[in-house]
Amino acid sequence: MAKGRLTRGRLLAAAAPLAAVPFVGKVALAGDAAAGGHDHSGHSPERMPTSHLKGTMGHAAMVGDEAPAVGGPTDLDALLYPPPALPYQPGRVREYTLTATDADLEVAPGVFFPGWVYNGTAPGPVIRATEGDLLRVHFVNGGSHPHTIHFHGIHPTNMDGVFQIVDTGGLFTYEFEARPAGMQLYHCHSTPLKKHIHKGLYGAFIIDPKEPRPPAKELVMVMNGFDTDGDGENNFYTVNGRSFYYARYPIRIKRSERVRIYLANLTEFDLVNSFHLHADFFRYQPTGTGDHWEYTDTVMQCQGQRGVIEIEFAASGLHMFHAHQSEFTELGWMGFFEVVD
Amino acid sequence: MEAHSATPDRGRVNWRIWAVVPVLLLAAVVGVVVTAGSSLVDLVGSNPPPADQFDIRRVEFSPGEIRIVVRNPQRDDLTIANVNVDDAIVPYEVDGPTTLGRLRSSTIVVPFEWVEDDPISFGVTSSTGIQTVKEIPAAVATPEPSAKGFFGYALIGLLVGVLPIALGLLWLPALRHAGAVWLATFMAFTAGLLSFLGVEALTEAFDLQASLPAALGGAGLVLLGVALSFLGMTALAGRLTGGAAASGLTLALLIAVGIGLHNLGEGLAIGASFALGELQLGAFLIVGFMIHNVTEGLGIATPVAKTRVTVLALVGLAIIAGAPTILGAWIGGYTSSDVLGALFFAIAAGAAFQVVVEVGRYVARSAPGGLRSGHAIAGFIAGIATMYVTGVLVA
Repeated sequence: MAKGRLTRGRLLAAAAPLAAVPFVGKVALAGDAAAGGHDHSGHSPERMPTSHLKGTMGHAAMVGDEAPAVGGPTDLDALLYPPPALPYQPGRVREYTLTATDADLEVAPGVFFPGWVYNGTAPGPVIRATEGDLLRVHFVNGGSHPHTIHFHGIHPTNMDGVFQIVDTGGLFTYEFEARPAGMQLYHCHSTPLKKHIHKGLYGAFIIDPKEPRPPAKELVMVMNGFDTDGDGENNFYTVNGRSFYYARYPIRIKRSERVRIYLANLTEFDLVNSFHLHADFFRYQPTGTGDHWEYTDTVMQCQGQRGVIEIEFAASGLHMFHAHQSEFTELGWMGFFEVVD
Repeated sequence: MEAHSATPDRGRVNWRIWAVVPVLLLAAVVGVVVTAGSSLVDLVGSNPPPADQFDIRRVEFSPGEIRIVVRNPQRDDLTIANVNVDDAIVPYEVDGPTTLGRLRSSTIVVPFEWVEDDPISFGVTSSTGIQTVKEIPAAVATPEPSAKGFFGYALIGLLVGVLPIALGLLWLPALRHAGAVWLATFMAFTAGLLSFLGVEALTEAFDLQASLPAALGGAGLVLLGVALSFLGMTALAGRLTGGAAASGLTLALLIAVGIGLHNLGEGLAIGASFALGELQLGAFLIVGFMIHNVTEGLGIATPVAKTRVTVLALVGLAIIAGAPTILGAWIGGYTSSDVLGALFFAIAAGAAFQVVVEVGRYVARSAPGGLRSGHAIAGFIAGIATMYVTGVLVA
């Protein structure tokens, strides 16, 4: 129960250089649901119902400005939209720099969580390489505890991020060939493991096959939770780090366009998490490997499991997606695709 | 003479200065500590973070809406950042400040279709992510103040407070034929009964203060209430008797006041528990209270067994002892002040113990054989035992 909680002073001093965490003081849910038109390519709430809080109960129906989510419509774009896949090219080197820091994360409006993060956010940045690329990840530990990066995939054991503990202020470069193709992930492997993961040290790691996947609108969703009061149970659930974010800012999709979602579960404490899509079915490729695709509207992942979802939406309109654990849904893991013609 | 008169004068001035000096010095030291406080802490370590737990004082249910009254029990400010009902984040409004200063309260208003009789839980999360959870065993509509409700509580108070005492007083004609030994036994019985009520009230007072925030609670609050009422009752007794030991109507009045103060607390507990959905008010419980309280009438009647009293005086005694139940039920049913609750029970305890002293003095003086006689001891024990056994009916 080590609660490294923040004081008001730390609250104000922290965060700014680390993450795009806007400082929102208070949730005023009911009163201020004025019809505001956010203008952004990826999200368009103009067709959202604006105020039905007085009439409806619960968040299953909450969308747009009523959904209590932190920040603006583009804040999580770097996590949602991965860098583009590069065609296979022998001998190419892909370099990334990940810096671990301590950061106060605003996971729900006005609720701050003293997290540990890679490059300012939890989940951390999306790392992407093509199978056969030489991956070089420079790790800088700017946090107050020893950390590592442990990648899933095939690599030498001295690059596994288990024995190569990087102390505060230390540096380490992980270097290995990216393989196998699929949806991988990375996370800190320092002990206590549970704390280092739950604090926010994890992210998506996409390895593209040499034979490229068909073109698609690509999204990354890392499912997680935040135990803000240190009792070993999550208080908030999210995809990409902010509860109800995609309910407030639905993800805009073109009808019939191929959509590919790289989905991973890094939720601590709970045995499983899941992804359920409303009003349509999708194809699911476990771990993003092999030829087996499941046709379904619900997939379940334990911690560390991941896969690739592909779908062409059949109809326009708001398609809800959420964990099919009702509790997670109502604690923030819920959003919408806004499918347009 | 001149010099002689000047000296005490200057002495008086000095005395006044010296009276102020410690206060001024204290103020100066306080100033220094306040400005240098954190560096003082740094010498020995660092302060733990604030608990950031809310004090959820009351939850009120009305159709389609829940109102949660929260208080900040700690020194540091506390901000309401998120509200859960049954582990689900819900929309809410805050009636009052969202950031609460020390001991400040606000009401969280949640539009919610709650389910009658189902258990329900609430979580209020601070800006630091700390969630305070309150579980309600069964959701029931909180009674709104209404003429009907007022009348209902009055009727309940009448049934469990006034009526059984009035019935107990009807033992008076029989008591008039009782011998001195029997009367002494009944008086000792009354002392036992009052001791029981005093201990019961004291326990209740300690329980209530324990649930208060540290800044408001404390055993001192209970002691304050007990001392206030004990000494107040002593002064009242002294006034009524002119210093002599109380007897007759005076003693009956003191007993009635003691029982009345206890019944105020009892009414408060009934009203508050019912309003919070923690008590099932049924015929069985009301009958239980009636049987529990009927002996209180006997206690009031015994001192006047050999005195001439008018029916009006008896009615007055019954009202003094019983009517506070009605008042208590109203207060408990429609308001929520846990500080007052603890204080009320402490006052009831102090009054009961004082009346035990008065009754003891009476028994010591008037009973054949005094306090050490077998019947006095047996009566006292029987009083406690009777209250214990009939208390099972209301537990």
